[in-house]
Amino acid sequence: MANKNTSASMKTRERLWGLAFITPVVLQFLIFAAVPLTIAIVAAFTDWNIVRGSFEFVGLDNFVGFLNDKKFWTATANTAFMLLPIPFYLVLGVLFALGCHHNTPGNRIFRVLFFLPYVSSIVAVVVLWKWLFNYEYGLVNQVLMSWFGIQGPNWLGDPDWIKTTIVLMIIWKMIGITSIYVHAAMKNIPESFYEAARLDGASPVRMFFSITLPMLTPVLFFLTVVGIIGSLQTFVEVQLFTTDGGRNYSAGTVTYYIWQKAFVSSEMGYASAVAVMFGLAILAVTIFQFRMSKRWVYEGE
Amino acid sequence: MGRRSGMTAASLAAVALALVTGCSDASEPATDKPAGEKSEITFMGWGSPQEVEVFETMIAQYEDRFPDVTVEYITVPAPDFNTKLQTMIGSGQTPDVFYLIPDYLMSWVDAGVLANMTDFVADNEMFDESNIWPAALATYSTDGKQTGVGDIYALPKDVGPWALAYNKELLDAAGITPATADDLWTWDEFTAAATAITAGEGTNKVYGTAGYSLESAVWSNGADWLNADLNKVTVTDPAFVEALQWVADLSLVEGVSPSQEEQESLGSTQRFIEGRIGMMGIGPWSQAQLWDEAEFEWDIMPWPVSPATGEEAVWFGGIGFAVSSSSKDTKAAMNLAAFLSVNEDAQRTNMEMGQAVPNLIDMTKNEFLSMDRAPANKAEFVRILEEYGRRPTQTKTFNPEWFSVFNSGLSAVYSGDMTAAEYASSVEAEMQDLLDKGIAEQDAS
Repeated sequence: MANKNTSASMKTRERLWGLAFITPVVLQFLIFAAVPLTIAIVAAFTDWNIVRGSFEFVGLDNFVGFLNDKKFWTATANTAFMLLPIPFYLVLGVLFALGCHHNTPGNRIFRVLFFLPYVSSIVAVVVLWKWLFNYEYGLVNQVLMSWFGIQGPNWLGDPDWIKTTIVLMIIWKMIGITSIYVHAAMKNIPESFYEAARLDGASPVRMFFSITLPMLTPVLFFLTVVGIIGSLQTFVEVQLFTTDGGRNYSAGTVTYYIWQKAFVSSEMGYASAVAVMFGLAILAVTIFQFRMSKRWVYEGE
Repeated sequence: MGRRSGMTAASLAAVALALVTGCSDASEPATDKPAGEKSEITFMGWGSPQEVEVFETMIAQYEDRFPDVTVEYITVPAPDFNTKLQTMIGSGQTPDVFYLIPDYLMSWVDAGVLANMTDFVADNEMFDESNIWPAALATYSTDGKQTGVGDIYALPKDVGPWALAYNKELLDAAGITPATADDLWTWDEFTAAATAITAGEGTNKVYGTAGYSLESAVWSNGADWLNADLNKVTVTDPAFVEALQWVADLSLVEGVSPSQEEQESLGSTQRFIEGRIGMMGIGPWSQAQLWDEAEFEWDIMPWPVSPATGEEAVWFGGIGFAVSSSSKDTKAAMNLAAFLSVNEDAQRTNMEMGQAVPNLIDMTKNEFLSMDRAPANKAEFVRILEEYGRRPTQTKTFNPEWFSVFNSGLSAVYSGDMTAAEYASSVEAEMQDLLDKGIAEQDAS
């Protein structure tokens, strides 16, 4: 029998094993990411309509179409508005994590309470909020009326208020998960820094701004990047809170616009064009953030 | 070494296989059936729990009658229905029988999604064409150029005449006698009646009327959304604007109808059931809920007429049962559609459960009219079908996109942000554009 352990055959065997291990992951990427992405890019240049079964090349017509659509630009403005929650829940998340870190009384209970919205079904959460913010019968307006004598606004129906309501809900939802990330990062800050600072006579506030915050920048960067990508894709809240994107399309985001075009109007080609453009825009924003990160994110020793 | 690597290789292959196949559609029906075996067809629709129950009864009756066929009944919530249907069409799994919204008739016929039922209707074992409401069949007929004539592509699920219901006790308390066919109300008399009923404050507030039917107001005033040839948008017509403004003013000026915000907080149907609305439009499908939940006496009356023309008008609507052109068992599917549409037992069940006016003319005249339940004046439903009801304008065009855009901004008029005239001029161009696009698509096919 030939010697099975020659270095050449061992290398080949190792390579084969390596390939075998990565096959499932590569397959998953190809089937669920690469292929649909390619189809979407191709479809962006066609008039693909599911019901009619058409699939003809139309060049840049789709792109011209949505760039001229007033609704699309309203959706873009609405989507930009959805970035608003990020600074708020980051700040509140850090403050809350600080409280947990210093073991403020009640922090364990509040950790659970704040995390609940994140793990709850979004549908259940929206139903709850729809009732809380009901114009006539909701708890919020009833409290405003009886305690303060102010007539609360039409949180869900008024075009000027619907986005604010969605933003409030997102902030409330994200505080929990943010504080968990930040708290974990806080635990990783070496105690020696604080000891040195204390020896030098630094106040707690000074320590926070000079030690804690800079050491938290990597996790804050992560949360910002992920938060922006997520916020720009706000869709479920819009679909559940409003019918048809709200009065005057006041709550419709770009993702909602894409969904409407794809599944209500069956214009898959058009929707793909918008989706491709939007994907490129998010990519550009993310790359920009990574470039800027060198300026403010602590890279470690 | 050999045994271990063999097992690991096998398990790796299994994992890869599982990943790929685990994601495939698990509900793939078996395609290889020996002849003579049961065939399975799918039926997709939506409905309240009561409606779904009625349908399940009717499907069981169908399966008794046709033992070779089993029906898979898929229910989808109404707002998601179109989306799910289109996805199924796109992936080649169109349900054999499904609900068809009349607004989409021409564009779906054009796309080749629906099976032509004309021959089946003319020659089948289930029903006699002349015993179905002509209006109902017309709703689902098209010759490619217009609706109302031509080949039939769906059978009616129901005909839904939109009638004006009223709370007898509220009207009596305000000393009002309801209108009758011989003594119609004009808009002014309607407003006066609504004003007399409106009373109270805050949570005790009673409104004279719910939102008025815009179709009834517009048509009664001699106007329409489009011209007779269906190629020009006519919403800036003074008669149209006047009608729209009158409907909006019922809330804004007269205060006899709930405001936009109040309607969003608590739907009018719920308000009516709580006895806090005097008059409201309903379709026959509301009978079941009212029998169940309304604790007062109610009835229906003819719609008021515009003082300008004295003409009665209101819409009747409905849903159709369409059959997929790619169905594997067209005969069974068409039989199911026909069964649900006109089978006597099924229709009787529907009628007795307060879901509909029967699709069969003789059953309506003989049994429905003599049913001893509210509304006592149920003949009004029939009067709408026979005398003054019209098919909505948006069901007569290639697609209803132009109508959707009109509706999407309409709340500006109802909330008083814009006058009817301002709104009509602001939206007319976009509506015309969409109408033209639809006509172009229609001509191109």
